[in-house]
Amino acid sequence: MLSYFRALALWTTLAILVAPTASAQSASVPTGEVVLTITGTVDKDPVVFDLAMLMELDATVIETATIWTEGKQVFQGVALDVLMDSIGVTQGTLLATAINDYTVEIPVSDAVAGGPIIAYKLNDATMSLRDKGPLWVVYPYDSSAAYRSEVIYSRSIWQLDRIEVVE
Amino acid sequence: MKTSRTNRRWIRRAYLALAVLAILIGFSFLAVSVVQDLRQLESARSDNVQWTLAQSEVEFLEFSQQLHVTGDGSAADLAMVRQRFDVFYSRINTLENASVYRSLLENEAYSQALAAVRRFLDTTVQFIDADDPALNAALPSIIENSDVPRAAVRRLANSSLDSFAAAADQRRSDFAQTLVKLAVAVILLVLALGLTVYYLRRLNIQKTRQQRETAETAARMDTVIQTSLDGVIVANEDGNILAFNAAAEKIFGHAAEDVIGKALGPLIVPDHMIEAHDAGMARMKAGGEKRVVGKGRVQLEAKHSSGRLFPVELAIQSAETETGKIFIAFLRDISIRVAAEKELIEARDQALAADRLKSEFLTIMSHEIRTPLNGFLGNLTLMQDTKLNSQQMRYIRNMETSGELLRKHVTDVLDLSRYDVGYTKMREIPMNLASFVQSIVDNQSGMAAKNNTTIEWDWLGPPSNWVLCDPDALQHVLMNLVGNAVKFTNEGCVSITLETENMTEGSADFIFRVSDTGIGIAGELKTRIFDDFVTGSVAYDRNVGGTGLGLGIVRRSVKAMGGEIDVESAPHVGSTFEVRLNLKKAHPVVQKRAKPKAPQMIESLRILIAEDNEINCAVAREMLLAEGHTTAEVYDGAAAVSRVQHETFDLILMDISMPIMDGRSATRKIRNGNSPNAQTPILALTANAMASEQAAFLADGMDGVLVKPLSRAALQEAIRSLVAKLRAPEGSPVESEHQNEMREVLGAAAFDKLRGSFMVEAENLNRWLQLDDLQDLPEIAVRCHKIAGSAAVFGATQYRDALIAVENAADSGQPDSVRLTIGAIESVWLTTKASL
Repeated sequence: MLSYFRALALWTTLAILVAPTASAQSASVPTGEVVLTITGTVDKDPVVFDLAMLMELDATVIETATIWTEGKQVFQGVALDVLMDSIGVTQGTLLATAINDYTVEIPVSDAVAGGPIIAYKLNDATMSLRDKGPLWVVYPYDSSAAYRSEVIYSRSIWQLDRIEVVE
Repeated sequence: MKTSRTNRRWIRRAYLALAVLAILIGFSFLAVSVVQDLRQLESARSDNVQWTLAQSEVEFLEFSQQLHVTGDGSAADLAMVRQRFDVFYSRINTLENASVYRSLLENEAYSQALAAVRRFLDTTVQFIDADDPALNAALPSIIENSDVPRAAVRRLANSSLDSFAAAADQRRSDFAQTLVKLAVAVILLVLALGLTVYYLRRLNIQKTRQQRETAETAARMDTVIQTSLDGVIVANEDGNILAFNAAAEKIFGHAAEDVIGKALGPLIVPDHMIEAHDAGMARMKAGGEKRVVGKGRVQLEAKHSSGRLFPVELAIQSAETETGKIFIAFLRDISIRVAAEKELIEARDQALAADRLKSEFLTIMSHEIRTPLNGFLGNLTLMQDTKLNSQQMRYIRNMETSGELLRKHVTDVLDLSRYDVGYTKMREIPMNLASFVQSIVDNQSGMAAKNNTTIEWDWLGPPSNWVLCDPDALQHVLMNLVGNAVKFTNEGCVSITLETENMTEGSADFIFRVSDTGIGIAGELKTRIFDDFVTGSVAYDRNVGGTGLGLGIVRRSVKAMGGEIDVESAPHVGSTFEVRLNLKKAHPVVQKRAKPKAPQMIESLRILIAEDNEINCAVAREMLLAEGHTTAEVYDGAAAVSRVQHETFDLILMDISMPIMDGRSATRKIRNGNSPNAQTPILALTANAMASEQAAFLADGMDGVLVKPLSRAALQEAIRSLVAKLRAPEGSPVESEHQNEMREVLGAAAFDKLRGSFMVEAENLNRWLQLDDLQDLPEIAVRCHKIAGSAAVFGATQYRDALIAVENAADSGQPDSVRLTIGAIESVWLTTKASL
């Protein structure tokens, strides 16, 4: 529990350091290739993001090992709670679908400070499709044993393409 | 006993605590282990690996299918081909790099399959990354080459199955083992709990039994306390009442339910003692001294509920209980007993006071009788000096005899009352028993001779002559006993024996026996013989007479000296009185013997008589005038003191009890003053013949004591010895006056002849003393005594004293002293011889 809060504090600190241009929901329309489409119970349906729009949101950095990689990795992306805030989602379930139509369920309740992010950079570089890019849902596995369970691993979807918000 | 039980209990508790601790530690250990296992199960290191491997096959098939449907080479179709390839590529990348799949690489089939796939990807990627026409052109060859990876991807899934199954088995078995351990631990715990329950149950049973026993004991104690005839109050350390039994309720008038829990002090302690009570409680609480608790029976005052104070007898004990120290008081109302005691004491005091009053009355009466008697006898004496015919002379002598008897009786009563009033105080004066007893024998021998009775004395066993004793008291006792013996014996024998018993270094029991062959004492009388006013039969009274007080006084005297007296007697055979005294032994002292009386002529003296009783004064005056002296008279001590300021007297006769100033004060004033009479001899005139008081007179500065009633003989002797002392200058070996008297009495020729033979005897003795090797001390004593008597006749005072010193030394059996005293003889004799 203690380590959980410590992690929380760490992530909050990093968020402030990395994203000095904090802003609420971006009203801009995508100019580049759409990387994420959010449908379902949102104010504006669908919400689409290109990579630049995601990067405009407050960024979060997670440094952690994963079971799919070798050694410590530095992930950068938008925290799931920040993203949900930006689209006004507070409850429900996210049906996250990968590019090959593989879908997992992520409860909105997972979207907490110090929780999962939608990473767009690994070790300071954007990720290609072959490297599980362009978007990868990453939990801070090292910060808590609670994030090292089968359920969390299954929710860590890569090659994320779209999210449907359901009740 | 108590300590060992406590120890055992502690040891048992320690074991129990240790067992519980061990079980707890075991459980903690297991719990940690289970939690760890669970956490391991919870945080699966593996993704769903099987699914992933199957997924890679799916993704390959999707890619392969896309190849086949892409017939016309449209851009969209080619983009789909690229996407499917990338997805598959990404999956294989994951299989190659992910830590979770690393262990699978050890499986040869798996790694070969993976390598085959990798080779396909590496060959194909160049076409995927090329532009659309190139990719389109390469499609057929890609399709052709995709048979190899299809089989390889299938092998990946199959080959990993065994490994995962084994790993899963291992994990299940580990978990099962942990569960078994846990089960064992649970069983152990249950056993331990069972044991604990058993133990607690046993403890409980024990405790219940103890409680029941305690309750029974308490009930029994309660019954004992409640039925106790004494009041029982139990209080705690703060002085609050815990128990108050029925008897206490009755004694104090408080109901138990009213006082339980209240402070003891204000309820039953009298107000004037409450401060001391509180102080005592505080002192005990502070661990101080206990003054009442545990000190046995104590008598105190207590307070009734009505406020009445009454005496109680109480005993308090303290006891330690679990709730602290308690005090148990047993009390008894002793009002009745105290009242009875008080009555008894009052009755006794009254009786004692009455008895004392009686004795005092007797003393005063005797004294008052003696004073007129003194006048009576004195005048009788004076009357004898007047011209009387023979008949008158006979009447006078009869009167004198009766008067003397009356005086003796009055003296007896006086002595008796003195003893009873408790005025007797025994002195301890060194005295020689041999000469003492001899003087008594001498005194009584005349009387004995009249009855044709012999009288004798001796030591039984070795003599021990020098003792510390009150000579007056002893004389009184022996004189009475010997006097009685002589009185009741006709033509018989009176013998006195002395004996010692229980001799120690400093003291011994001295037994004086006075035996006679007289009429004896009848059995009935024997038991009462020492009572007051007991006399023999009427028939004998005619012969002997008496007040019946003599032996009563003897008994008191002996008792006052700390001794015992007893009598054995048979009628017509005789009596033996035995006096037993414990006396200290004394060192011999040189004693001046009473000078032998001798008729003599005395020059006329000027004498002052201080006496308040006119008749007694007249008697003394007449006696002195008859002797040729001149007198002056004063009637109180103050007048005596003033009279001697201006007129010189040769002698002062001083009554002791006089108005204004008594004789003792007057004597002290004269002695301390600077009148011409400061050194004049003073003789006390007193009816008070107690030795201790006479000593006090001498200490005041008086030179001697004349006891009333005054007898002419005693007065003459006192004056004679005083004058002799005055006229014989210190250092003169021979009293020339005495010698002259002797010469007058004997006639010159006879005197010279006697003096000659005395001098021969003395010379013989001196020679013998110088020669003697001091073996025969008694012989020395006897011969010295004899010559000392002769020396006295010739007034050779110094020589006589020297001889008596030798005699005393010999009597006391001290050869050193004898040698020393003999050494002095020769020089004394030389000066004496010159003066004779």
